[in-house]
Amino acid sequence: MSRGLLVPLVLLTVAAATLAAQGVVIAPHAVYIDARVRSASVLLYNPNPEPAEVTISTFFGYPVTDSLGRIVLRTVDRPDSTAPSAAGWIQAFPRRLTVVPLERQTIRLLATPPPSLPDGEYWARLVIAAKGGQVPITGVTDTAKVKVGLTLEVRTIIGMAYRKGAVHTGVAISRLRGAVVGDSLEVWSRIERQGNAAYVGTIHGSLVDSAGRVRAEFRAPIGVYYILEPRYAAAVGALAPGRYWLKLELTTEREDLAPEVILPSAAVRDSVELRIP
Amino acid sequence: MRRALGVVLWAALVAMPRPAHGQNSGGISVDAEVIAVGMTVTKLSDLNFGQVTKGIATSVLPTDAGAGEWQALGNKNANVQITFTLPTQLTNIQALPGSTMPITFSATSARWRRDVNNASGGAAFNPAVGTTGRFGPTSNPSLYIWVGGTVTPAGNAKPGVYVGNVIVSLVYL
Repeated sequence: MSRGLLVPLVLLTVAAATLAAQGVVIAPHAVYIDARVRSASVLLYNPNPEPAEVTISTFFGYPVTDSLGRIVLRTVDRPDSTAPSAAGWIQAFPRRLTVVPLERQTIRLLATPPPSLPDGEYWARLVIAAKGGQVPITGVTDTAKVKVGLTLEVRTIIGMAYRKGAVHTGVAISRLRGAVVGDSLEVWSRIERQGNAAYVGTIHGSLVDSAGRVRAEFRAPIGVYYILEPRYAAAVGALAPGRYWLKLELTTEREDLAPEVILPSAAVRDSVELRIP
Repeated sequence: MRRALGVVLWAALVAMPRPAHGQNSGGISVDAEVIAVGMTVTKLSDLNFGQVTKGIATSVLPTDAGAGEWQALGNKNANVQITFTLPTQLTNIQALPGSTMPITFSATSARWRRDVNNASGGAAFNPAVGTTGRFGPTSNPSLYIWVGGTVTPAGNAKPGVYVGNVIVSLVYL
């Protein structure tokens, strides 16, 4: 097992080991496959005392925003030939497995793309469905009683990207606007991806007063596959009437991803004046 | 920086309960060359209605002790889409086939909350629709999800244990 997979496993296992419950640790949470290698792996670990039945599948989808600015996944059941879908030609081995308690298991991902695949980035989503434990059937000694219980299953869906040849990315920000609503700063913008690969980075917004002090701030990871129009909110205290600057910055810095999978791109910034009456 | 992080990770590994079969007994040299973070979604409790009375609808609120609960651990401030696959009927596993009980979920049957394992302050949402949640801003970012529901046993419901399956899907966005 690679050390790169072991590091997150240790961190999450420490947290998960305190829970006598069902679930598997999955690392990493985003998979990148280089066309020169055509394979990758995902590590599963079962920190629980019961075996976990796991099934693996893939589909095509990418993040978009809804009318409220929430980021959601758009799923495409039958992507056409123009869609950059890798779901049809990335296979997981094994697809069904049982991860016994306190054991690790590696899922191998093998890409078999069409021979004429153009350079670029191709996407899919990996579904890891974990099921374990049963509703206890004890406690109904009185045969006239009716007892009800539901088991809970977990499906974790992570991103996969296959990169072939020269890939590059970037973003353009437009329509930046904000408003103070109650005790929150609400920020809207339109973020459009440039290049031929998804923009994976961090978005940082801030509200700065005339003295240069930051009065509200938010920071979040972001993945721009096509266009996003997200809404972000940050807590803000009482603001005196006056002029403020709303600043937005996108960078390709990510603490949670290995540096070698990040496609670097110059930071992109935008700002608008915000007047508080 | 990397050395310091490696020390922290090594300390975490030492503190971790070891497998009885010595999977890692040879010792693991942990370094911090790669700082990718994984994700885990853990079921903390099943949705449990307990014993119900024939002919009387019984509800479990997401804030009740019988609510189903998950904990997700992931990346700081990351967005996740939360969706459910919900049953409409529960099956009596102690009776002949065909003995079922309807179950419904309301627009406020589910809640989610960043970092705090207390449903009373969580954001309500309709599990049939789903929502977008967000991991906490702390150094150990987490997100909790709760689900309740209502079962309506018929007046002539057969005794026994009625079971079903709720699937929660977390999409890392």
